[in-house]
Amino acid sequence: MIDFLEQNSMYLVLIIALVIWAGIFLYLNKIDRNLKKLEREEQK
Amino acid sequence: MNNAYKLIVLVSITLVLIGTTVVPIPFIPGLGDKARIIYLHVPMSWIAVLSFLLSMIYSVQYLRKKDLVQDVKAQSAAEVGFLFTILATVTGSLWAKFNWGSFWNWDPRETSIFILLLIYGAYFSLRSAIENHDQKAKLSSVYAIIAFVTVPFFVFIMPRIVDSLHPADTIVDNQGKINMNPIMLSIFLFSLFSFTLLFFWILNVRMRTEKLKLSRISKNNS
Repeated sequence: MIDFLEQNSMYLVLIIALVIWAGIFLYLNKIDRNLKKLEREEQK
Repeated sequence: MNNAYKLIVLVSITLVLIGTTVVPIPFIPGLGDKARIIYLHVPMSWIAVLSFLLSMIYSVQYLRKKDLVQDVKAQSAAEVGFLFTILATVTGSLWAKFNWGSFWNWDPRETSIFILLLIYGAYFSLRSAIENHDQKAKLSSVYAIIAFVTVPFFVFIMPRIVDSLHPADTIVDNQGKINMNPIMLSIFLFSLFSFTLLFFWILNVRMRTEKLKLSRISKNNS
């Protein structure tokens, strides 16, 4: 695996980009869910 | 936003990242692999223009209806647009370092995006300088409309009437015909689509936050 990534650096870039994207997605999703909870409380 | 929408965003951006990095591209003289920036940099600029347009539309609606919800929508759209303008500037600047030799060259493209950042920076300064909600909404709506008039000039016209190093014929050539390899073009268009979906989700979260703040302020006042 390490040998493959050393020879094909674009795949390493892809892994880094996917990790960043996963982090952004999970954070945005968490904000969205918390917001939904607050909106429901506001309506009560 | 419902879960299906979020899933589509997750899958489509993941596919864009795969397409951006590992799908082979034809050799482009003077650019090489650096041409891959088009998949990420251009969508940032496109979203910036789209959000400034939405900010202008919501501002017009505020002036017509005098509804503060329209004003917070305009503010949210301008904020997201500002964020994506910064992302377009930073990605372009990183690319410029490796293609032109320096992070900042005062190329017409760089100068025009810098002026655009100043124009919208002034919009937020204006908003933070006024305490009265109605007055703030009225003045900033007028400002957002005037600010958007400059956007097509700085994004589409100015960089094309002045000599620039910025690659202009990568997508469309001088005769207006599409000048891109079909595989690259499909990834590029899919990227525009995917980032637009992501933009609407971010905008939705931002608008709901501002609406919630607004409703709490009106509850406290009453």
